[in-house]
Amino acid sequence: MSQEPVISWKTAGILLGLLLTFATYAYKPLGVSSQYVVTDGVIAHKIAPEKAEQNEYLAAKVGKNDWQIGSGWMLVFGMFLGGGIAAFATRRFHPKDESEIPSMWASKFGNSKGKRWFYAFLGGVFLLFGARLAGGCTSGHMISGISQLAISSLIFGVAIFASGIFTAKMLYRSKGVNNNG
Amino acid sequence: MDKMLLGLLIGAGFGAILQLGGASNYKKILGSLLLKDLTVIKLILTAIAVGTIGIYLLDFFGIANMDIKPTYTSGIIVAGLIFGVGFALAGYCPGTCIVGASEGKTDAVFVILGGLLGAAIYAVVFPLMNKTFNITANASNEITLATVFNVENGIWVAIPFSLIMIFLSFKLLKDRYGEMPS
Repeated sequence: MSQEPVISWKTAGILLGLLLTFATYAYKPLGVSSQYVVTDGVIAHKIAPEKAEQNEYLAAKVGKNDWQIGSGWMLVFGMFLGGGIAAFATRRFHPKDESEIPSMWASKFGNSKGKRWFYAFLGGVFLLFGARLAGGCTSGHMISGISQLAISSLIFGVAIFASGIFTAKMLYRSKGVNNNG
Repeated sequence: MDKMLLGLLIGAGFGAILQLGGASNYKKILGSLLLKDLTVIKLILTAIAVGTIGIYLLDFFGIANMDIKPTYTSGIIVAGLIFGVGFALAGYCPGTCIVGASEGKTDAVFVILGGLLGAAIYAVVFPLMNKTFNITANASNEITLATVFNVENGIWVAIPFSLIMIFLSFKLLKDRYGEMPS
C-alpha cells in the first residue's frame, strides 16, 4: 500500500486555505496544541481537583471552561475521524511498510520499535513544550497566524524551520561525508 | 449550528485534507526539513496564500473572528527552536500526529503521548517561563504586518503578501528528490 499523497500540494493548500477562511468566518482560526493542555487539565482535575485548580496555567486554560472539553477539543477529535476516514476511503489505512516504523527512519536508525517510539515520544515532548511557550503550533501559529499576518507567527515560523532543518540535517547526515549540498 | 458539531466538522475537513495531501507522512515531513521534497512546505505556503486573502477579505467586511497571537520576541524564538527539534525528531507536528494515529501509525501515538507530557511540563513551569519571557505582560501586543506598516485595511498588505507566498511555492522552491534518503 502506498502512502503517497492522493491530492497535490496545490489542491491541498487551496482547500486548506479555504477551510481556514470558512473557520475564521463561522468559528475561529484553526488550532490544535491548546487541546493537549485541555486534555491534561481535564484528566488532572478528575484525579486531583485541588492540585489542578492551583495550577495557574491549567486554571486559565481549562478552568474557564469548567474543566470540561469544548468545541476546540471536538475539532481535534474531528481531525482524527476525518484523517481516518480519508485514509480508509483511499485504501491507505494502516500501511504495512509505514505503520510501525517509517521506512526512511528504519534505513538510517534500524528496525527497533522501542528506539523509534522513544524518539517519537521525545519529539512530542519538545513539540508541545515549544508550542505552548509560543501559544500555538503549526496550525494555530504558522498557518492561521501567518495568514493573519501576525508578527509573532512569522517569527515562530522562521525559528521552527531553522531549527527543524538543522536537526533533520544532523539526524540524517552521512558519517564523514559533507552533506551540506 | 451547535459549536461542538461545527468544531467536529471543521476538524474532519482539516484532518482529511492533511491526510490526502501527505502532511501526515513522516517521509514528506522529513523530506521538507531536509530540503529535498518540499511538498509539505509548498502545501503550507499555498494554504497561507489563500488564507491570508480569505481572512483579510472577511476582515474588510468586518466579519472575521481573528485570533492574533501576541508577540514576545525572545520567547517566541526559543519556542520555535524547541518546536523545530521536536518536529524533526517526531516527523509530525501536534496536528498531523493526530491524523497519523488515525491511520494506524503507532509512532504517531507516541508523539501524542509525549505531547501530553510536554504540555503538562509547560503547565508546571509556566510561572518561570512567564517571568523569563514576559508572556502575560505582552498579552495585548497583537501586532501584524498591517500595524507595522501602519495600514488601516489589512487587505492591502494581504494581497502583496499572498503573491509572495504564491511566488515562493509555485516558482522559487524546487524539489531535489534525487538526493532523498530512501
